[in-house]
Amino acid sequence: MKAPPFAYLRATSLDDAFRLWSAAGPEAKLLAGGQSLIATLAFRLSEPSALIDISRVPELGGITEAGGAIRIGALVTHAQLGASELVRRHVPLLAEAVPLIAHAAVRNRGTFGGSLAFADPAAELPACCVALDATVIARTRSGERRIPAAQFFTGLYTTALAADELIAAVELPQARPGERSTIIELARRSGDYAMAGIAVRAKIAGSTLVEPNVVFFGVGDRPISAGRAASALAGKPAAPATVAEAQAALGGDLDPPADQHGTPEMKLHLARVLLARALDRLIGHAGARAA
Amino acid sequence: MQEKVKDAPSSQFKWVGTRAVRPDGVDKVTGRARFGADLAMPGQLVGKVLRSPHPHARIRAIDVSAAANLPGVKAVVTRDDFKDQPSEFIPAGEMMINYRDVVRNVMAREKALYEGHPIAAVAATSTSIAKQALKLIKVDYEVLPHVIDVVDAMQPGAPLLHEDMITAGVEPAPKTPSNVAKRVEFGHGDVAAGFAQAEIIVERAFTTKPVHQGYIEPHACVASVSEDGQADVWVTTQGHWIVRAHCARLLGWDVGKVRVTAAEIGGGFGGKTVVYLEPLALALSKKARRPVKMVMTREEVFRASGPTSGAHVHVKIGARKDGRIVAGEAELKYQAGAFAGSPVQPGAMCAFAPYDLENVKVVGYDVVTNRPKVAAYRAPGGPISEFAVESVIDEIARKLGMDPIALRLKNAAKQGTRAAYGPKFGPIGFVETLEAAKAHAHWRTPLQKNQGRGVASGFWFNIGGETSVSLQLNEDGTLSLTAGTPDIGGLRASLCMMAAEELGVDLDRIRVQIGDTGQLGYNFLTGGSRATFSSGMATVEAAREVIKEACKRAAKLWELPEDAVEYMSGGVRPAGANAGKHAPMTLSDIAGIAGKTGGPIAGYARINAHGAAPSFATHIADVEIDPETGKATVVRYTAIQDAGRAIHPSYVEGQYQGGVAQGIGWALNEEYIYGPDGRLQNPGFLDYRVPVASDLPMIDTVIVEVPNPRHPYGVRGVGETPIVPPMAAIANALADATGVRFTDLPMSPPKVLAALDEARAAGTAKM
Repeated sequence: MKAPPFAYLRATSLDDAFRLWSAAGPEAKLLAGGQSLIATLAFRLSEPSALIDISRVPELGGITEAGGAIRIGALVTHAQLGASELVRRHVPLLAEAVPLIAHAAVRNRGTFGGSLAFADPAAELPACCVALDATVIARTRSGERRIPAAQFFTGLYTTALAADELIAAVELPQARPGERSTIIELARRSGDYAMAGIAVRAKIAGSTLVEPNVVFFGVGDRPISAGRAASALAGKPAAPATVAEAQAALGGDLDPPADQHGTPEMKLHLARVLLARALDRLIGHAGARAA
Repeated sequence: MQEKVKDAPSSQFKWVGTRAVRPDGVDKVTGRARFGADLAMPGQLVGKVLRSPHPHARIRAIDVSAAANLPGVKAVVTRDDFKDQPSEFIPAGEMMINYRDVVRNVMAREKALYEGHPIAAVAATSTSIAKQALKLIKVDYEVLPHVIDVVDAMQPGAPLLHEDMITAGVEPAPKTPSNVAKRVEFGHGDVAAGFAQAEIIVERAFTTKPVHQGYIEPHACVASVSEDGQADVWVTTQGHWIVRAHCARLLGWDVGKVRVTAAEIGGGFGGKTVVYLEPLALALSKKARRPVKMVMTREEVFRASGPTSGAHVHVKIGARKDGRIVAGEAELKYQAGAFAGSPVQPGAMCAFAPYDLENVKVVGYDVVTNRPKVAAYRAPGGPISEFAVESVIDEIARKLGMDPIALRLKNAAKQGTRAAYGPKFGPIGFVETLEAAKAHAHWRTPLQKNQGRGVASGFWFNIGGETSVSLQLNEDGTLSLTAGTPDIGGLRASLCMMAAEELGVDLDRIRVQIGDTGQLGYNFLTGGSRATFSSGMATVEAAREVIKEACKRAAKLWELPEDAVEYMSGGVRPAGANAGKHAPMTLSDIAGIAGKTGGPIAGYARINAHGAAPSFATHIADVEIDPETGKATVVRYTAIQDAGRAIHPSYVEGQYQGGVAQGIGWALNEEYIYGPDGRLQNPGFLDYRVPVASDLPMIDTVIVEVPNPRHPYGVRGVGETPIVPPMAAIANALADATGVRFTDLPMSPPKVLAALDEARAAGTAKM
């Protein structure tokens, strides 16, 4: 299919973007890398009256370090994210996630902000942001709002953004000493949407997990924080029994829908496998693996 | 001149066997190559097809009046625009066709038989008007119960697709209609007596899913019919003479009035050997009196163009403890889609072809279901039956504690073996592929944790057929070679190399093109792994005609008898008693005086290429299984195959690798997912998972060369055999790693995991 007709407007600055957006009305959509939006147009899943191209707005780019946090502009592409030394050093989870995102062509154009705003439940970056306690910086014409990532994703392809808000940047706390993180996903084929995925971050003291964040993707309508599993792990040495307890607790955290990849039971099983593997990566083979 | 196989090492040749630069390469990498959808004509209209949303429905009435009256719509066609055809099965290469069905497949008549079945087509001045017009067509359907699965379709009381279908090949003929179009049987000996001697018998049932050829380029054509009835079609196809024949027949036009030009082709794999859009575009163009362009979407390709059969296969093999197979029996049920004509016959013929068996029997059933009519797909029918047989052979080897290559060597067909399907084999290279596998480093490399290794062999017949080639000697001594088999797998390069070898000229002196149907005699299509074999044979003949004529011209000039002139290294010279009497002349010299010595010089070969020889392969696969998720990953793969002689080894290796890549998809991921409503749920590459590059290991290749004595350069077709062994090689590797025998394709993570869980509970799993 081909896209329905739409007007195309290119913004040259953030002010310009807001001006064009409000003039174009509520049926207009913002275009950044276009890696999800253009596909939805081609399938006629959305029919915007106009696309406001913000891909050349200078204020929305760049990766900077400020006050113990890393600020990533909404227009930073996945490829730029993966190549950034700042990201590798201070938010290694994101660097680890990049190769899992689709294929090279998509990573060259797709943007950080676009991925968050699109809020695909099987996408990697939204789950990472939740696991990392990121803050989404939303902008309107008149001001700025800071939204914790855990509250940003509100459902299937929906976010807490207001109709006149765009994502300007994301702020991520720098990894603290002793903190470790990892992301793993299971896909039928390289670049496919994950059957199930996990992003985990925790502080490791000896073999004990402190304040673990366990977030799943591809198993619900948004990134799912597995609070019960995290509680089962928190403050305890990651012995096989603890891991098994956390795996069991996932039954209360997740309620995966069936899809072409398999039944809800299989998805829950995969989530449990992923949890053990992620913990294994975080604390090494010393004691974490459940039988 | 060489009349026989040149069986010395390839190095005796200047061009044959080298990795010359491919003549189609620059155009393809620079975007100059013109594929099916690249042609545009002044004033052309856009043609679109209305397709049935129902898998099975009687069409009570079609009202196109509103669509026809929409401004911008220039023509509408329906079943009323195509004359009915008598029922008559005609051999078409590796498949059979029946025009009664072809006319119904391009445009539904009494009933829509699958979701996506064409109901009407419109031509309009723009895509959006054409689409709008489709929405205005009113179709009165009586929705009927449908049947998707092949076994369900064979049950008594199953919904009947064709109320008059009486199973052929059964005596006495059944009295009631069914969905079984045909029964076939092949074999010899006495299987009951054979099984009575067996010390081990393994019997298993297998299922395979329909898989699509997955060509990147969708079906596309432009048709133009002039006011005086001259018709032209530009189309992506594997055989433009076939397109011409089908279109002329369906439209009732003279063959000579239809000229078809083959575009550069973006993959076919057998799927572009039939017509879908072309007759519709011609009918629309005739009505509209303007050119009409039609291009399928990917969704249309999946819903309405041929995949290969899904099947149910039952195999029973008996052997003695020393590994000698004493009997083999198989029953094949292949679904044909909406019309008769699955590749069950070739499937039945090749099931046991690699083995020298005294007692063998294969029975096959061709079964219609409410799915798109299957089309040929690389070795049509073979991968399905051979997957089942090669799996059972592996199981016998494991149960006997025998090396699976040794077991195959013990039973391998050789020159003189009577094939399970009838004839005796000539020189074949099956044993050589097995020996090469045994000697390969891959076979001896230790496996890592959670890995298994499987081996499987494969066979395909290969065909020859009608072929025409012309070779003109231009006035400066360059040559123009015109062939009629579209270049899918390196045809142009291979023909150039054989012509250059014969003529003793440099490769860059020859330019090769694919001619249209007006330029050459009949050419059967590029399929059956026949193009390099057949067009190569014709090219050699045409080159020898040029050489003969060059000698004749020199003889005339030198006033010598013709046989006193010999052709050597790109030129002529006096021979024998007259040697040295005249200075040698090059082919360019001869070309320069052609006008004075008798006119233009050209060779034109029109042959029915006989002597196509089978190609055997043996593949080794290493597969790693994730014991917790059931995901299988192919980590190492080696494909060994007899090419007869590899004219251009890189293309031959590319064929081996491509077949393996498609086989890996077939084994692990590819399947059509139908809902209970009979509608396809994954008509796109997002959810129909062909492997991407990063899913594949480096596919190592070994070219074995046992020359085909019936071809001047020893060529065997190589394009199809490589897709035969992968499914069994991978299943055998999974069995090696897990202890579980997988019999149901694709071996996707949910299935593998469930089977592992079951085997763990039973205590039979190895992981």
